Amino acid sequence: MAVTIDVKADILGKNDAVAEELRNLFKEKHVFVLDLMGSPGCGKTTLLEKTMQALKDDINMAVIEGDLFTSKDADRIDRYGVPVVQINTAGGCHLDAPMIKKAIENIDLDKLDLLVIENVGNLVCPAEFDIGEQKRAVVLSITEGDDKPMKYPLMFKLASIVLLNKTDILKFCNFNLDGATEDIKTLNPGVEVLPVSCSLGDGLKPWLDWLREMVRSVK
Amino acid sequence: MCKECGCGETNGNNRLQFIVDGYTDDNAKEVEKALLGLPGVLYVHIHPHEGETTVDYSPKLTKLSAIMKVFDDRGLTANL
Ligand SMILES: Nc1nc2c(ncn2[C@@H]2O[C@H](COP(=O)(O)OP(=O)(O)O)[C@@H](O)[C@H]2O)c(=O)[nH]1
Ligand SMILES: [Mg+2]
Repeated sequence: MAVTIDVKADILGKNDAVAEELRNLFKEKHVFVLDLMGSPGCGKTTLLEKTMQALKDDINMAVIEGDLFTSKDADRIDRYGVPVVQINTAGGCHLDAPMIKKAIENIDLDKLDLLVIENVGNLVCPAEFDIGEQKRAVVLSITEGDDKPMKYPLMFKLASIVLLNKTDILKFCNFNLDGATEDIKTLNPGVEVLPVSCSLGDGLKPWLDWLREMVRSVK
Repeated sequence: MCKECGCGETNGNNRLQFIVDGYTDDNAKEVEKALLGLPGVLYVHIHPHEGETTVDYSPKLTKLSAIMKVFDDRGLTANL
């Protein structure tokens, strides 16, 4: 069963200090922590499902699900037998570090290699908040339009890896893959950009390799 | 800061406007790209003919001197 915790007010001033404290703790415990972000419906949970299928036998992983009210995503994760903690922000548009601090009380970090935090679906606010992660991944689905990187630059500037999802329906979407990739790399010259279809599982190998490498890098 | 809902920190970005002498269509594109690649720069808009150049950036992440260097490196003079 998924554990659910409710969080209301976030304490803004304290956020960065708590995030730093969390990052130190994760480092000490050798856990790689990823903040997974993107719009509602871009495919974050589907990506997680495919990732769990591929990695859960080799890598001890856990998931924190940020959601305004429901536990729909946590229920999807729970089916894979991966430990999951649901954070309900009670309408809040992003996760912050104190929420993560509370959520990890329910996770055994000593046994963990990888913690993925699915942030609240939103291209704006989550980018502003350090939640103690080592890296950020952003999913942009091609149904959202290729203009979105320049319209929501901070999200793309701070990511280490960007997945352009739903390539299976590219021909219906009028999305310029090369143009969007160039815009993302203009904003963030060091970033990796991967076209994928999470539904089909296409193009996910470089993503899985990257995650494995990140997990190794904190050991 | 998240301007949609007012959440987030208040260490918001600064918006600067320069007048730049000597743009061509090509180097204006190049400048735009180089500026956008700086860590704290979120938005750049250039009118090559008038030289009007708008840069939205975070002074915490990018120094003004790094912005000026983008112009200098291309032999352009920028005035605030
Ligand atoms: N066609 C297509 N649909 C996808 C793909 N990935 C996710 N979806 C669909 O997009 C919708 C939202 O996916 P979900 O993973 O819940 O997105 P989230 O809100 O970002 O977690 C669901 O109906 C998914 O089945 C994909 O690669 N191709
Ligand atoms: Mg989801």
